[in-house]
Amino acid sequence: MGRLTTLLWAVEHHECDVENEVICAPENVNILFEYKEPWFSVGPVNFTRTSFLIFLAAAVVIGLLYFGLRRNRLVPTKFEAAIQSLVEFVRDGIARDIIGPEGVRYTPYLLSIFMLILVGNLFELAPLINFPITSRMALPAFLSLITYVIFVFVGFKKNGIRYLTDTAWPKAVPIGLRWLVGLIEIVSTFILRPITLAVRLFANLVAGHLMLSLLLGSGIAFVLAVGEIGPKAGIGVVWFAFGLLMFVFELLVGVLQAYIFTLLTAVYIQTSIHPAH
Amino acid sequence: MSTRLWMAILAQEEAEPSSNVSLVLPETNELIAGIVAFLIVFFFVWKWAMPAINRTLEARQKAITGKLEDAERAKNEAENLRKDYEQQIADARSKGNDLIEEARKAAEAMKADMIARAQAEAEGIVSKAREEAAQEKSRAMGEARREVANLSIDLAERVVGKNLDREAQLGLVDQYIAELERG
Amino acid sequence: MEGNIELLKGAIALIGYGLGAVGPGIGIGIVAGNAITAMARQPEMTGTIRATMFLGIALTEALALIGFVLFFIA
Repeated sequence: MGRLTTLLWAVEHHECDVENEVICAPENVNILFEYKEPWFSVGPVNFTRTSFLIFLAAAVVIGLLYFGLRRNRLVPTKFEAAIQSLVEFVRDGIARDIIGPEGVRYTPYLLSIFMLILVGNLFELAPLINFPITSRMALPAFLSLITYVIFVFVGFKKNGIRYLTDTAWPKAVPIGLRWLVGLIEIVSTFILRPITLAVRLFANLVAGHLMLSLLLGSGIAFVLAVGEIGPKAGIGVVWFAFGLLMFVFELLVGVLQAYIFTLLTAVYIQTSIHPAH
Repeated sequence: MSTRLWMAILAQEEAEPSSNVSLVLPETNELIAGIVAFLIVFFFVWKWAMPAINRTLEARQKAITGKLEDAERAKNEAENLRKDYEQQIADARSKGNDLIEEARKAAEAMKADMIARAQAEAEGIVSKAREEAAQEKSRAMGEARREVANLSIDLAERVVGKNLDREAQLGLVDQYIAELERG
Repeated sequence: MEGNIELLKGAIALIGYGLGAVGPGIGIGIVAGNAITAMARQPEMTGTIRATMFLGIALTEALALIGFVLFFIA
């Protein structure tokens, strides 16, 4: 079964040299992110702890939406009001405000990715889980690939071949610079957009998870080793306090990254519908 | 030197298969789990959540619009009622003022009447008293005249010593007194 | 020898990422600062400005993100 939570990695693996080091840093950071031990296998596919967490996130999303929207009541409870305002925010604040009136039909996709990424990000802070599934490249890469397919498809559907030619040969730019701007636009739209969309989410969550694991893990390890190292265990208190600060900051980052991913998806769809802007 | 460095780096990478690159590449197992989980969420949202939220929000919007209209109507009604009441109050006030005015006039008339009557009565009393006094005076004068005449005649009889013609003497005295009064 | 080369590799990658993050850092600062100015001037346009700001940040940030990935690949 392996490690239950990576947060306690430093405690469980007493590789940490509390006598000579000042912080418990692993030799290889992959140890904080990779869970390769299969719980069980379906054919060639292994079901690992990360797979379980991904499905758990999906279940949490469905549960939140189900219990938030189940009853069609005029006076919702606090929980129902929160979920409903979240859905309204995605529908009105992102889909309609960014894409326009025709953007409401993209709400199911935007809401799905928003909720999945939000829950996946906040798994980092959930007790006993402490692992953001979005810090594994699989989920961001897949979601950004779907976004890529959608906005390219919408672009060609709405504008035909002009979607490509307008991007590569922008009429608004002076002719001398046109080829250069066109090249940058092509690279930026068709290559950089999907990569950065995925990497932004992934990188933020990797950094957050690293910071939290190192700080909180080191804090716990040093405080627990107070019998061996004496007053040096005070370092652990400092690391733990820093870790708590980062904890609050990661809450902000988790929500903001989910919002930015969804917002950029909406912006990309919008620029595909109206490439002239 | 340069070749040796490269060889060393290459050898090292071969010696350590789990390099950092694996962190930025999606892993197949997790990719499959992610795809399945996303599809589940997406179909749930598409088929169930969106109709549900649209239904709820529409119902709420309708209810709120209805409530707003109700409130507007109630407000208008209240406004009308208020105007009615104000009208009524104004009417009542003017009516009250009229009543007071009327009562005041009546009271004044009554007062004037009473004063006039009282004056008349007082005048009546005074004139009667004056009449009576005048009568009394004339009666007293007549009596006194008669008394004076008799006394004068008695006195004269005594002086003259004989009976005088009483009637003729009385006439004389009266004449004399009348002359006195005139003079 | 091998340990030294490993350390060197890590250090060079760190320097590379640090250099790569300078430009985007300045750029994001400029984008966000101008967005705040714009929002202060026209508060009614806040929604549009915010979306455009995130788009600009996304474009600027791309370089830093490439640097981040290269750090792990190197």
